[in-house]
Amino acid sequence: MHMHSDPPDDRDALREKIIGLGETSLHKSYYPELQSRLAELERFRALLDQTHDAIFLIRADTGRLADVNASAVTYLGLSKEELLAMPFASLIAPHQKAAFLETVRKSNEVPSGSRRTCTAYLVSREGREIPMEITVRSVIFGDEQYIVAIARDITDRILTEEELKIKESALESSTNGILIADLTGAIMYANPGFASIFGYEQDGVFMGKNLEAFFATPSVGEEITGHLLDNHTIVKETIGLRSDGSSFHIQVSGSVVQNDAGEPLCIMLIVMDITERILTDQMKRKTYEQLGKNIEQFAIIGDHIRNPLQVIVGYVEMIDDPLAEKILEQSCRINEFVTQLDRGWVESANVRQFLRKHGDGGEPPLQTFIHIGATKEEDP
Amino acid sequence: MIQRSQLDLRKFVAPEFICGHGALQLAGRYARNFGMRHVLLVTDPGVRAAGWTDAVGESLTEAGISFTIFDAISVNPRSRQVMSGTEVYRAEECNGIVAVGGGSPMDCAKGIGIASSNMRDILAFEGVDRVPVPAPPLICIPTTAGSSADVSQFAIITDDVRKRKIAIISKTLVPDISLLDPEPLTTMSPELTVDTGMDALSHAIEAYVSNASSPMTDVHALEAIRLISSALPAAVREPHNLDLRFSTLLGSLHAGLAFSNASLGAVHAMAHSLGAACDLAHGRCNAMLLEHVIAANYEAAPDRYDQVGAILGAAEGGRGTPAENVAAFRRSLGVTETLAAVGVREDAIRTLARQAYADPCMVTNPRRLTCEDLERIYAYAL
Ligand SMILES: [Fe+2]
Repeated sequence: MHMHSDPPDDRDALREKIIGLGETSLHKSYYPELQSRLAELERFRALLDQTHDAIFLIRADTGRLADVNASAVTYLGLSKEELLAMPFASLIAPHQKAAFLETVRKSNEVPSGSRRTCTAYLVSREGREIPMEITVRSVIFGDEQYIVAIARDITDRILTEEELKIKESALESSTNGILIADLTGAIMYANPGFASIFGYEQDGVFMGKNLEAFFATPSVGEEITGHLLDNHTIVKETIGLRSDGSSFHIQVSGSVVQNDAGEPLCIMLIVMDITERILTDQMKRKTYEQLGKNIEQFAIIGDHIRNPLQVIVGYVEMIDDPLAEKILEQSCRINEFVTQLDRGWVESANVRQFLRKHGDGGEPPLQTFIHIGATKEEDP
Repeated sequence: MIQRSQLDLRKFVAPEFICGHGALQLAGRYARNFGMRHVLLVTDPGVRAAGWTDAVGESLTEAGISFTIFDAISVNPRSRQVMSGTEVYRAEECNGIVAVGGGSPMDCAKGIGIASSNMRDILAFEGVDRVPVPAPPLICIPTTAGSSADVSQFAIITDDVRKRKIAIISKTLVPDISLLDPEPLTTMSPELTVDTGMDALSHAIEAYVSNASSPMTDVHALEAIRLISSALPAAVREPHNLDLRFSTLLGSLHAGLAFSNASLGAVHAMAHSLGAACDLAHGRCNAMLLEHVIAANYEAAPDRYDQVGAILGAAEGGRGTPAENVAAFRRSLGVTETLAAVGVREDAIRTLARQAYADPCMVTNPRRLTCEDLERIYAYAL
């Protein structure tokens, strides 16, 4: 019969192990496992401390802080020990405490896991109020209920929002029409100024419309977008089309809005109603024309007076008559009047030239009778 | 006299221990098994000079474990020494402690362990069961056969400021493993051998007569008295005899298991206050007080004391009272001085007695002694 037996070497090793002297004959100890769990926790803790958000663990029953991360300590300028000795609510700006506690109360009512967000100011050691968006959530660890509050500093966001608000209200309040459209010309935004220029009741009706709808010649819309994509800016006078179908003069200045990489995002147009200016120009032109004509007439009249006067003077010089002196004197006076009228014309020409130079750039009236540099300007 | 019944509730706590030649070399393996990465190696200059610290360090290195040595420890370890060890433990990011030495380094190591795990001053733990957080793993390698700190729930620390010994008693102080190797004992001087041996004998006798003793502790206490009474004088004569040294080590181990669970009595209470006041070796204090306390306690546990006396008398061939037999045993080991001889003056007795009276060891003394009783015992021992 074959007897089953271990070789002697194995028996010795087995005996050692039974005595408890084997390499792995371990005494029961949770320490190594505990160590690795602790290391894991420390790693996680370091991660939490790295986040920019301030994290607070609050005991639900007392409202006191049970734990905080490094960001909370940094934001508030209070040591961890100091923080753990105080209720979380004492960190909230006094005027917001009630509203915040209400948020916490609500988050306590709903089942664990759902979160609520509110904005509140946290007060640092030096009394600085930091605007925070606080997300609270009720959690249960072991038998204890806690509230986790994650606070995010929204100082920058608020500043950006305020800046945006200023920009937006500037856009909204501008009397010029401002239009933002995508690269195909589809409208993304139009301000109230635009609506009023084009005779629309409200500024919302433009969304999605193409900008061609606002020009008497629809193809102008495409021309403008095309030009902008090639040249980035445009200034153009054209004819706009109102909601009631009437047309009017407009000036369109536009530019392309680009992202940081220089890629075009959308186009922006500023539209001005220039009907009045065009009409004024036309009226001015007519007035100058009329003025020119009138002054021409005036010169002719002067000549018509001077010529007979010359004849009269010549004749009077030849006769011996006691009235001759008087007639000559009167003739001189008439000549002076006419000369003064001529001079007046020269002055009016200077005025017209001045207007042409510094005025609104309208076409100059008639070119005739301009005595350039003939006289000095005189005080009236 | 407190009535005892074997049906009384008792608890017995013992650490894992490995005894035998070569146990010291297992330090590295056990440190690794406990997950230690960097060890605080607590020792004292004497043990270091004898080479035992390096031997343990080698074992740690072989197991791939780094270590920092802390040896700034005096004979009666001070609270300040414990705290500076705690500082080193923290600074070096240790995660386990190995103690090599006698009672002083081991008690100091226990103190460092609880001070660092609780992050509090060591003096805050004075008393019984005052340690909330257990210490990191502690491996003890005793180099004397006396203190039994390697198996006990005791740590005795000297309060630097108030110049008194405080006792910390807590199950969290029981080491995780004790490696009992007779070899380190061979470098002990005869004086140290006697002092530590008398400490072990006091442990065994006090545990045996303690009002917290149990059938389980009795076995260990009696075996300890037997082993010490026969092996100690021989070990003094033959310091390099490993078998004799091992017997004293076993005797100390038995005594440790007994007193760690049954606690001590007036001898230790009085030795603690004496040791702190005069900075005397703990074992020597016990040796000078033991017979006088036995005389004072005798009526409270005559049978037990008679048994103790019989064992010691058999070894010495004496037929006197237990106290007389203990005195004869002491003298045979060359301990002949009295308290007066080591510098204790009569006017110091009041203070010594008052401090001893407050020691937790008094609680388990078989007889309820008054402060005046303690003064009288000190006076006899002068
Ligand atoms: Fe002792």
